[in-house]
Amino acid sequence: MTASQTKASNRRKREPLFHLAKRTDINPKRAWMVRGISFLAAIVIGGLIFLIIGNNPFSAYGYIVSGALGKKVAIRQTVKFAIPLLGTALAIAPCFKMRFWNIGAEGQITAGAIGATFFALNYANTMPKPLLLLVMAVGGALCGGIWALIPAVFKAKWGTNETLFTLMMNYIVIGLVKYLQGGPWEGKPGSQIIPDFSQNAVLPKVFGVHCGWIIVLLLVIFIYVYMNYTKHGYEIAVIGDSVNTARYAGMDVALITMRTMFMSGAICGLVGFMVCSGANMTLYHSVADGVGFTAITVAWLAQLNPFAMMAISLLLAILDKGAGDLQTYMKVPTSIADIITGIFLFCMLASEFFINYRIIINHESSGEASK
Amino acid sequence: MKKLICALLAVVMLAALCACGGSGSGETIKVGLICIGDENDQGYTYNFVRATETASAELKKQGINVEWIIKYNLIEGDPVAVANEELAEEGCAVIFNNSYGQEPAMLRVAPNYPNVQFVGCTNEGSWKDDLDNTHNAFAHIYEGRYVAGVAAGMKLQQMIDEGTITADGAIIGYVGAYSFAEVVSGYTAYYLGAKSVCPSVTMKVQFVGSWSDATLEANAAQALIDQGCVMISQHSDNTTPATTAEKAGVFHTGYNADMISAAPKASIISTRIDWTNYFVYAISSVAAGKNFDADYSHGMKDGDVVMTDLNKDIAAPGTQEKLDEVIKAISDGSLNVFDTSKFTVGGQSVTTALAIDTDGDFVPDQGEAVWDGVFHESEYPGLMSAPYFNLAIDGITRLNEAY
Repeated sequence: MTASQTKASNRRKREPLFHLAKRTDINPKRAWMVRGISFLAAIVIGGLIFLIIGNNPFSAYGYIVSGALGKKVAIRQTVKFAIPLLGTALAIAPCFKMRFWNIGAEGQITAGAIGATFFALNYANTMPKPLLLLVMAVGGALCGGIWALIPAVFKAKWGTNETLFTLMMNYIVIGLVKYLQGGPWEGKPGSQIIPDFSQNAVLPKVFGVHCGWIIVLLLVIFIYVYMNYTKHGYEIAVIGDSVNTARYAGMDVALITMRTMFMSGAICGLVGFMVCSGANMTLYHSVADGVGFTAITVAWLAQLNPFAMMAISLLLAILDKGAGDLQTYMKVPTSIADIITGIFLFCMLASEFFINYRIIINHESSGEASK
Repeated sequence: MKKLICALLAVVMLAALCACGGSGSGETIKVGLICIGDENDQGYTYNFVRATETASAELKKQGINVEWIIKYNLIEGDPVAVANEELAEEGCAVIFNNSYGQEPAMLRVAPNYPNVQFVGCTNEGSWKDDLDNTHNAFAHIYEGRYVAGVAAGMKLQQMIDEGTITADGAIIGYVGAYSFAEVVSGYTAYYLGAKSVCPSVTMKVQFVGSWSDATLEANAAQALIDQGCVMISQHSDNTTPATTAEKAGVFHTGYNADMISAAPKASIISTRIDWTNYFVYAISSVAAGKNFDADYSHGMKDGDVVMTDLNKDIAAPGTQEKLDEVIKAISDGSLNVFDTSKFTVGGQSVTTALAIDTDGDFVPDQGEAVWDGVFHESEYPGLMSAPYFNLAIDGITRLNEAY
């Protein structure tokens, strides 16, 4: 055996059991089948978890569905959960398309809520309702946009890491709300509670839910058109594929980065306005309540497709709302509900993986693809 | 054939109906409870949930069956409002909100369901809203604090007598949530209890800016210990001040729950509110079709405030006897916790203090709380159930201020 032969056999020995290859030509039917199967798998695995902790999986799922959709109040609340989730997923989609990792949506929502609350607290008696709401919305969007613009400027000018930067910005603005809650905007001293907005500053309801749902549905269409049929959307896509190509084509990458981040932050800010004006009618530090992070999952799962985001945010809202009833009626702790949600997300992400890649088992003799 | 089936079906249904009627001797009333956390906190919410069980047992004796619907982990804002709405839609006759921050959301829903009674525990909105179906409830927890303070003071005095610490070294460290009347009232009562048996005692208060944050509470306790505090107490939800005290070799008294299991070498005693009486009172009133008081706060006399078991291994000798004596004195009214002859503010004794804010500027402008040489805390009818004692008395140093 020569030295080179030994090396070759060693290499073969070390070869892993399987390897992955990118699929390019999966047909949509098959893709949906994979998605369907993984959804069923999630239900089965989740059911096993319920069994392990000693609950009937059928009634558990029953409570989730009835808790989320069983009554008018419940449906309204589920929709109310879905609104910020969808809005934020839409907001971060352009950034992600551009491969700019904006994980600061949480903070941008909060910044927007601060902007809207400023006008709600100070101008409720001096402006007519439609004007006030408009000013609150614009104020919220501006605040969210500026909050997002800061890391974008640093990235564009000095090449800072946007992932860390946007993340850190979250903590700053949440801290700012805590300060406002206990300081200048506090109601009763020591209460840490900002007084409820006057009715003038509250979004009107349409079919029992604040009209934010109409705004996000309009946003769905806007983002769809913006991403697919505008010059801006095209520029974003090119930068996402290759910054150098974009430069070569004469695009101002810095400007586009900042513009896109500002828009992303502005939509987050609008979400912040809808949450505090439509749902909470006040501001508190957990106004974003993790939505900024969950929305990342929504956006990815939907592969940045605005219409798919609608379905996914609704599904997550159902799980979220239904989990409450699970604890109320079955004494299932919230941590279990979180695990179930995690399993659903995991399976759905896995399905995208299997749609995009095929697993090729390495046979010892040949190492050829199995199919 | 069909007729036969119909007849059979009718018989079966009738039997089922009879069975149902037979099993429940009285009426069943649906009651909602909205909690800031869940039982796993082993403190604040756990204390409510276990009272639901004792209250149900108590009400069963009166022939009232209670079906509790408990919703968990609802802190504030819209989710709380929706939970109230859902419970009302579900047919709950009474809905208890167990945390201060839930009240604004509760008050948003209450006007829509005039036949449902809404209770904001520890809050104070009901007396000034125009609604007949809103209520507030609390307990004279300051009495329990005072008693816990006596246990702490006896331990400190024992340490002074044994030469472990100097008289000046008898310093209590108090981990407070916010510089807020409910907390101020509590630590002042605790301090006065300690002072009644250990005259040289002083106290430092460190606020953490959260009702429940295990890490911050531990840090605050450690900061106090570093400043020479040898006795730690707390107005916050976790057991970390107790475990921090144990690690540092100092002593501790707790709140909401028995913390001896968490810190057997440090935790001497705890005080807690027993919500059973209030639950029974409110629910039985509703079951009888009667309205119940818009405001409620009772103390040790009625069993609404109780002490957990004394940790006899570490308490000073004679503590249990002394505590029994103090509890008896509080219960029969011969001992007033906020006796104005026992404390001073800026060197002066207190002759006047207002309790209630009526114009919404959050500064009390009405309701004299001091008479007959006593500051009357949580006095109702007359004043209100929520604590309003907010005086900075001598001997207590706040290390930081409100957040």
